[in-house]
Amino acid sequence: MTARKPLPYTDPAHQAAHQFLVEEAALLDAADYAGWLDLLCEDIRYVMPVRVTTARGAGFDTMPGMSHFDEDMYALRKRVQRLATDHAWTEDPPSRTRHFITNIRTFPNGGAEFLVESALLLFRSRGDTREADLVSAGRTDLLRETGAGLRLARREIHVDESVLRTQNLAVFL
Amino acid sequence: MNVASVVADVRGGMIPAHIYNDPEIFELERDRLFARSWVFLAHESEIPEPGDYVVRRVLADSFIVARDESGVVRVMFNMCLHRGMQVCRAEMGNASHFRCPYHAWTYRNDGTLTGLPFHAEAYGGEDGFPRLDQALLPAPSMDIHNGLIFISLDPGAPPLRDYLGDFAFYLDFYTRQSAAGIELRGPQRWRIKANWKIGAENFAGDSYHTPYTHASVVDIGLFREPKASKRKEGALYVAGPGAGTTYKLPPGGDFAGQLRYVGYPDAMILAMERSWSAAQRALIQDSGFMVSAATLFPNLSLVHNWPQVDASGTVVPFISLRLWQPVSERETEVLSWFAVDAGAPEEFKRNSYKAYLMCFGSSGMFEQDDVENWVSITEMAAGTMARRLRLNSRMGLSSEGKPIKAPHAAFSGPGVAYQGFGEFNQRHWLSQWADRVDAAP
Repeated sequence: MTARKPLPYTDPAHQAAHQFLVEEAALLDAADYAGWLDLLCEDIRYVMPVRVTTARGAGFDTMPGMSHFDEDMYALRKRVQRLATDHAWTEDPPSRTRHFITNIRTFPNGGAEFLVESALLLFRSRGDTREADLVSAGRTDLLRETGAGLRLARREIHVDESVLRTQNLAVFL
Repeated sequence: MNVASVVADVRGGMIPAHIYNDPEIFELERDRLFARSWVFLAHESEIPEPGDYVVRRVLADSFIVARDESGVVRVMFNMCLHRGMQVCRAEMGNASHFRCPYHAWTYRNDGTLTGLPFHAEAYGGEDGFPRLDQALLPAPSMDIHNGLIFISLDPGAPPLRDYLGDFAFYLDFYTRQSAAGIELRGPQRWRIKANWKIGAENFAGDSYHTPYTHASVVDIGLFREPKASKRKEGALYVAGPGAGTTYKLPPGGDFAGQLRYVGYPDAMILAMERSWSAAQRALIQDSGFMVSAATLFPNLSLVHNWPQVDASGTVVPFISLRLWQPVSERETEVLSWFAVDAGAPEEFKRNSYKAYLMCFGSSGMFEQDDVENWVSITEMAAGTMARRLRLNSRMGLSSEGKPIKAPHAAFSGPGVAYQGFGEFNQRHWLSQWADRVDAAP
């Protein structure tokens, strides 16, 4: 990988990207999924590869041909529609989630696009007797400047566990 | 705990609730059930080349499943013969040898010990430690059917094909759609705070939960059939050590028409016609049933369904295999694979993968609600009151224990099938469970 330099933190483009991710996290924690869909480009690709433990030097650490998520807009809309029904038991009662977003770095990607890396720690608590779940991941996002502001065109979620310790991915990362 | 009373209740269809969260029961399952059963580990397509390996477990026992240099599948206990270190600590990869990091004992990928540092100086050579013919412990029994690699910790296990019995007929619908066989991708792995039995029973025959648990996926139009209650037209079958559910297909279709209806392209249908026996084809064409969820005792489940994968309503089927890997009485690791016929067109594979991800696996919209239920059952089963409650699992039986309806006469597959709802399959799974935990160690 070539050494890339992120934009300075004082750069307005970086600040806009940072604000986008924080505002997006606020929507997710408020379970405002309709609002969240509005932040996505119609050609969104939302991918979460399966991580695997491999020997150093194996040349790969994700499972070939398999992801936890590999979504287009149709699939994401269906997921959001489902959560809005009266029968999505896994999130009714809802989880209490907190998306902690940090380590944000913004890279110009030519034209009106930016590659934005961030670290995510998701805290997810269900009910009053279960232990809470933590999901740690790095994310690489492609943000696109549109007439209506920044929109998410692609997200790759690089989860830090090979075996997830949350009962399902009925939440977005 | 009185095991005899537990299994008597289970055999009567009244399930002592604590068996879903009881450390004593879990010990019996480990020692009497998993120490003796054929357990699925991997599919040959996961290790296509010499040197390819994956590492899988049977409860706490780790095994390397490798294809050796001559192409033979080997399953080896992943523990160094010297000090017991895990020889391979990766989940998958390609290696000609496995070298223990502790003292560098080195094993070829067929398990043979080939390297032992300072053999002469440390051991006095062959006289002190005969190195020849030493190998990682092989799985006590290993056998392969349709590329599915099973092991048993029982060296006297019956041949796998004998164990599968009549269930092999149904297994072909999932794993032999053409001469090319299936390829597995994955698994996704995640841990759920649920007892392993609940998922296995559910996939074996719980068509009754679909209309309510999965109401949301019907609400959003993920399926062409508008009502989940369509499930009550399906047949439940029990065959050998397995059991499964089916959907009733629309009337009047021929073999190709019915497979087209669930979204298979003609090239694949031709291959199925050649791959399946007349009796297997008749289940689809004459009886009009399409396989859906199933469980092979103890902990391998399969699922086949056909959602709409785009806004224009394209229906595409998918197949998933999953293993309910017990961690403890209250926790299960789920391993969920996407499976597709190796000879399928690339476009089909792409769409079928999408269908899988939307419906099952770690993010699947069906699976999400299932797991919420199973975690809740497990939590409830831990306490004192659960030891006083026997769960009624007698659906389909009269008070005298007779089926309330006759077996479905037009079901052409082997075994016994009933149309409509019933807990015949779960009782069949549980009766095998009772036989195992009741057997002397």
